[in-house]
Amino acid sequence: MEKPELTGGIIFDIQGFSVHDGPGCRTLIFFKGCSLRCAWCSNPEGLNQYPEPLYNASKCIFDGLCIDACPYHAITSAGDHLIFNRDFCNHCTSYNCASACCTDALRIAGNFIDTEELFLKIQRDRQYWGSNGGITLTGGEPFLQPDFAANILKKCYQSYIHTAVETCGNIPWENIAPSLSYIDWIFYDLKHPDTDRHFSMTSTGNKLIFENAIRLSKNFKGRMIFRMPVIPGFNDDAQTIASLSEFIHTTGRDEINILPVHHLGREKYNLAGRNYYTDNFNIPGKEEMNNIRNLLEDKGIHCYIGSDTPF
Amino acid sequence: MSDATISFGQTTNRFGRNPSETIEQREEKPQPGVRAKTARELYFETKSSVSMEFPFWYTRRWEELEGEIPMVRRGEALKAGFEHLTPVIYPGELLVMGKASYLRGSYPLPWLSESFFMAAEDKLYKEALESGKLTADTFTTVGKGGGNVTKSIGNVISIAGKFGLRVEEVPVMLAVARKWKDKSVDDIGHKYEQLVPGYKEKEAIMRSVICMFDSGYTLPQGREVINYYYPLQFGIDGMIRICKEGIAESAGFPDMDRIYFYQSGLKVLEGIQKWILNYAAETAFLAKIETDEKQKTEYNEIHDRLTWISSKPPRTFHDALQVIWLFHVAVLNEDAISGLSPGRVGQVLYPFWQRDMKNGVIDKVRTVELLECMRMKFTELDCFASMGVVGGVLSGNTFNNLCLGGLKKDGSQASNELEMLILEAGIRCDTPQPTLSLLYDEKLPEEFLLKGVECTKIGTGYPAWVNNQVAMEFLMGNYAHEGMNLEEARAWSIGGCLESSPGSWMPLELDGEVHWIPGGSAPATSVGVHFLSLPKILETVLFDGLDLRTGERIFPSHGRKLENYKELWISFKEYFHRAVYVLTLTNNIQHDAWRKIAPSVVNSMLKPDCLKRGKDIGQMGSRYNTTFNIESTGTANLVNSLASLKHNVYDRKNFSLEEYREAIKANFGFKTAQETGSFSLVDQVATEEYHKWKRIHKMSLEAPKYGNDDSYVNDIMRDWENWFCTMGKDFRSLYDQPLYACQISVSTHGPMGAVTMATPDGRLCGTTFSDGSVSAYPGTDKNGPYALFNSATCWNHSLSQNSQLNMKIHPSVVKGREGSRKFLELIRSYLRKGGFHVQFNIVDSRMLKQAQEEPDKFRSLLVRVAGFTQYWVELGKQIQDEVIARTEYEEL
Repeated sequence: MEKPELTGGIIFDIQGFSVHDGPGCRTLIFFKGCSLRCAWCSNPEGLNQYPEPLYNASKCIFDGLCIDACPYHAITSAGDHLIFNRDFCNHCTSYNCASACCTDALRIAGNFIDTEELFLKIQRDRQYWGSNGGITLTGGEPFLQPDFAANILKKCYQSYIHTAVETCGNIPWENIAPSLSYIDWIFYDLKHPDTDRHFSMTSTGNKLIFENAIRLSKNFKGRMIFRMPVIPGFNDDAQTIASLSEFIHTTGRDEINILPVHHLGREKYNLAGRNYYTDNFNIPGKEEMNNIRNLLEDKGIHCYIGSDTPF
Repeated sequence: MSDATISFGQTTNRFGRNPSETIEQREEKPQPGVRAKTARELYFETKSSVSMEFPFWYTRRWEELEGEIPMVRRGEALKAGFEHLTPVIYPGELLVMGKASYLRGSYPLPWLSESFFMAAEDKLYKEALESGKLTADTFTTVGKGGGNVTKSIGNVISIAGKFGLRVEEVPVMLAVARKWKDKSVDDIGHKYEQLVPGYKEKEAIMRSVICMFDSGYTLPQGREVINYYYPLQFGIDGMIRICKEGIAESAGFPDMDRIYFYQSGLKVLEGIQKWILNYAAETAFLAKIETDEKQKTEYNEIHDRLTWISSKPPRTFHDALQVIWLFHVAVLNEDAISGLSPGRVGQVLYPFWQRDMKNGVIDKVRTVELLECMRMKFTELDCFASMGVVGGVLSGNTFNNLCLGGLKKDGSQASNELEMLILEAGIRCDTPQPTLSLLYDEKLPEEFLLKGVECTKIGTGYPAWVNNQVAMEFLMGNYAHEGMNLEEARAWSIGGCLESSPGSWMPLELDGEVHWIPGGSAPATSVGVHFLSLPKILETVLFDGLDLRTGERIFPSHGRKLENYKELWISFKEYFHRAVYVLTLTNNIQHDAWRKIAPSVVNSMLKPDCLKRGKDIGQMGSRYNTTFNIESTGTANLVNSLASLKHNVYDRKNFSLEEYREAIKANFGFKTAQETGSFSLVDQVATEEYHKWKRIHKMSLEAPKYGNDDSYVNDIMRDWENWFCTMGKDFRSLYDQPLYACQISVSTHGPMGAVTMATPDGRLCGTTFSDGSVSAYPGTDKNGPYALFNSATCWNHSLSQNSQLNMKIHPSVVKGREGSRKFLELIRSYLRKGGFHVQFNIVDSRMLKQAQEEPDKFRSLLVRVAGFTQYWVELGKQIQDEVIARTEYEEL
């Protein structure tokens, strides 16, 4: 089935009063769809590019209304929970199942939003940001919807709204380029300097990401801060940190924000019908985070932990 | 399959482990000094206690003077009460004196209402004999922990589920109460209010809890700002002199009614003088037997201070603080009062403090210590009233609101260094009283605002943030005909939890220099129609004037078929108008009884221009008198219900009105809140019937909701507000003035929700209403705080005495330095858009749930309810559930 032509894009949340993702108070726009599959992802409902049902079995009353409503016959009952054939769900544009549900057990993550409509919401929020505030595109991966991202960034930038983007970098340069002159600020995510290790946890190598990082560093005029989730046993050893700092030096930028991995997204995996494999990761403690920071600071890189980034 | 029990908001998932319950703690804060810490520990160990001393002597003197002019008789009776209060001083105290001889002491005022004791007479006797029984009102829950005496234990009898009275005082209480039978404000008022045509309707309105409680005899004073000018400037001797001069001026002249007021005042001042000297004598005695030299010196200093201020004006900041405290208590002792606000104390006392600082009499460390002691004194205050009032309205709170910021007489910003220290003391000594409000103005310095943010952030709930300009605009509009002007409007302050109250600038002369200090200049600003349940009135509209819970007829049939939205809206306004009409008349009569039987003397003497005019508050002696209001509860539920009906019945025609009536009767197939024992929507449990109603319930829940910046609902909200805020002009108060709208819920959204059936917005039977007046119904504001702000400011807040927005924010969002700055941006942006008030709970909901299960571990946990901060454990369950259910703004 053909996807509808987009004059806007698919997002899965708009969050006002965000304080950790850029200067001032901000409105976050979560783009749906991502080109990485990081095992620790805390927004699993943002991975697919299309709207999808989230199903909460504990609220289900098994009255079969959604089963009857589904045009693809993709829902079957297993007695104490429902099973969704999500291959069909990804093609569905009716969302009849969620409309039929009476108890909040089923809802749709992701909706198409017109650029104009989104901009109206941004204008509303703008009244409340105070000084330095703005928007941050995040997700998912904003640059997987390059036209939509460029449109909204351009509109905001031209209206004197501060614009920030958080990107994983795993997209062709052509997707980034049209937006580049309308961005004030970039958070650029790095996971691991070694491509095989990178592949083992994200299902993708890091070649494109690191190439883009260098290219972006040279071409982008605003402030660019690297971000890295700290996953114990994966990227927290001294050697990884050393080669990471080496890479950062080659970009000419010198700031990184490290974030301890957390398990707060676990519940959402169940809802999106995905398996959560990451329970065995420990959450890094304060001391471990400080150690990594010290290693990076020793190499002359400014390192901020969690929400301590100075804006 | 159909027997599955469902429950909203359940987080367990059987296909995975639950997220680990890590509770985010509030930010760490500095601790109070030794004195306040000791006092607080003592306070935590103390229960609300009732003593019969004051009422006994009051009543005895009153009886002796039968036949005397009532005003003078009242003054003499009050004097007798003050003279006989037993002084009690605790080691380490820097400020002394209290309401009664117990630390959390208070007493009943049978001259206002004795029927409560008479009705409970048998029960009280029985309980005195076989103590250990629980008193419980049907629909109000009082907090079960903390200082509440919820059941009789040993020699202590529980009254109204909150207060403890010693067994041997029970006969005294009943004897005193009996003396007031048919003579109290309640009884006399009741006798005459029956003369109002339509009185039967009023009774039905009260029985259905469309209106929460009567006005004239419950809390006739309060929700106002005290004025400390006279005692600070003239001292008690000076005030006595003014009274004597007044008598000499008016005796024998046609306006000689004045002499009775002056005579009454004179007597009370003598009583207060004696009361202070009794305390002084006690300190002298304590000093004599004290072995610790340091404590001995402190007693001597207190003795010296009390002796001095018993007649003369204060010499130092410490003296002045003692003076305002003792006059605060003196006013509280003359009536059942909640919400007597000290007002802008930091500005009133600044001239004294500044002089002391210059002379090296005091330093900042000592100032904070004194202010911490002041906080403890205010926290120890208790207000005796019946269970419905204490639990249902006040949640045990006394609402002594201390205001900061705002503007000076000349329009420049008014905050000062002393106010910074008041905030500091509020951070260190986090107790419910006095609660703080910051009168936000664009002119206030950033440093001061950030200090306010620092205080709000630690989770005390105060300061609340209030819009200075919006309030001034309201005052100019409402009091213009009484001479309010721009300059005078700047002297305003919050009275009670959130009532904009007019003030005046008073010329305090110190060392030959005049300092203009702000103080209250109007009587109680929320008396009149106390809390109308908007959703309940809508219920009677849908059922043609009947109370569905009892089947009783409340209003005469409107006879309309409600075929379109306009008919529905007109019928609602009609019933609301009717309720206000009859309640205004009956309450005027009650207040008339109050001003005749128990007129205000102490408070009147303090309020400009009573002493000048020789008239008490009841005779409109004060400068501004347009102070009667109409209070509302459940705004968001009303607006959401109207939106749901408009959407589902009239616009989309998804259901007929008849189907809605049936669904409401069936409670959408759910158990009632009483059955489930929880008053929050998320905990409600479905019955087998649910499948029949699930569609209509779902569509009710999905109908447009207030708080999401949806113009469909905003239009309804605006229509309601524009009408409500002006309809008060159709009525006349006791003082022959129009009424205004007051939109605070305090705690009434609990008990009023309890008696209201399901509402068309999907809210279920018996569950608590939304709080405040511009807060969204918990869980329905799905588009974040900015959308909520836009909805909240869709109407002009300066039309109303207030509006109230409560928000709950997860501590992680506002952590650290960045958090403080961004938090200020959030607050400021809402106020700049014309919001009148916003207040915050900075707390992790999981902590509140844990506190509900293990109250003992959370004795000192403070939360913000609606206009006040209270210990979690002293809140009723209805309100606890509502606070937990509030939408929490959290970021992951």
